[in-house]
Amino acid sequence: MRAALLLLAVLLTACGAPEPPLVVGELEITKPMPGRRMSAGYLVLANNTDEPLRITRVESPQFNSVEVHETTITDGVSRMRKLAELTVPAHDSVTLQRGGKHLMLMGPKDLEGAVTLQFFSGGTPILSVNYTFPEEGDQ
Amino acid sequence: MSPKNLVIAAAVAVALAAGIFLAIRSTAPAVPASALILPEPEPVPQFSLLNQDGDKVDQSVFEGQWDLVFFGFTHCPDICPTTLQVLATAKQTLAGMGQQPLPRIVLVSVDPERDTPEILGQYVDYFGDGNLGLTGTIEEIRKLTTELGVYFEKRGTEGDNYVVDHWAGVYVIDPDGKRHSLIGSPHVVDNYVRDLPILMDDR
Ligand SMILES: [Cu+2]
Repeated sequence: MRAALLLLAVLLTACGAPEPPLVVGELEITKPMPGRRMSAGYLVLANNTDEPLRITRVESPQFNSVEVHETTITDGVSRMRKLAELTVPAHDSVTLQRGGKHLMLMGPKDLEGAVTLQFFSGGTPILSVNYTFPEEGDQ
Repeated sequence: MSPKNLVIAAAVAVALAAGIFLAIRSTAPAVPASALILPEPEPVPQFSLLNQDGDKVDQSVFEGQWDLVFFGFTHCPDICPTTLQVLATAKQTLAGMGQQPLPRIVLVSVDPERDTPEILGQYVDYFGDGNLGLTGTIEEIRKLTTELGVYFEKRGTEGDNYVVDHWAGVYVIDPDGKRHSLIGSPHVVDNYVRDLPILMDDR
């Protein structure tokens, strides 16, 4: 009886609302500055799996290209570099924030509506999220 | 000593102590926590650049007001707008507190190839009225930055996709157009709100 209950509990945990492997939080996308053709995306990526997750590509239908960049400040000098991929360790998270790692969104096409971000690991799509810009003067 | 005299003596002692306390308070120089004040107020080197209206300006553009000078480029979506926003927010906060004078925010482009006066103007205007943008030939920009010890270098020249590494600090220039102090990154609004009145009171 106890064993059966325990099994039931395990099954319920396993079956009830499976957690997505990758979760995005605190997403913020800046609008391009006046006259500029690029902006930045900031977010927290959390990996719920037992394996590290490699993000090798990010796409957005609203931008020509999306790259993962990292700004570092060493000896007072700011450097921005493209990262070939981003690894989110198992059961851990990676924070993309101002002055650090960020999504570099280049060549905006249509920013009237929501922005969709698609994350790929190798050829496999692993997550798609939407972002709606706050109303003007809402910040 | 009679009780009455004792009271007077005590009152005098208290008054003296209070006076000494006030004197100490008003003479102890307030020390900026985030800025390095330069030992010698040297003038800014000579240069000839363009402001955001396309007008030729020289080193005298720094005379007449306190300037917070940042060296950056408008193709930078991360650290440059973040820093300029900190400066703009600090200035707004100081204005709300009735601080006088208020500094001007200056962006010197380290990417004149892409930063035309017009583009630079749209960019600096975004952060408020009265800001100054400076651009021009790379030689003239180097005249300014080399002498000031401000590092910048173009990187990754794949077409138009290059970036520019640059010193991320802020140079404070006094109303005589002389170098006053340096404020390093990371830039924090509260540090500016606390330190700018001290800096601008220093000369
Ligand atoms: Cu970037």
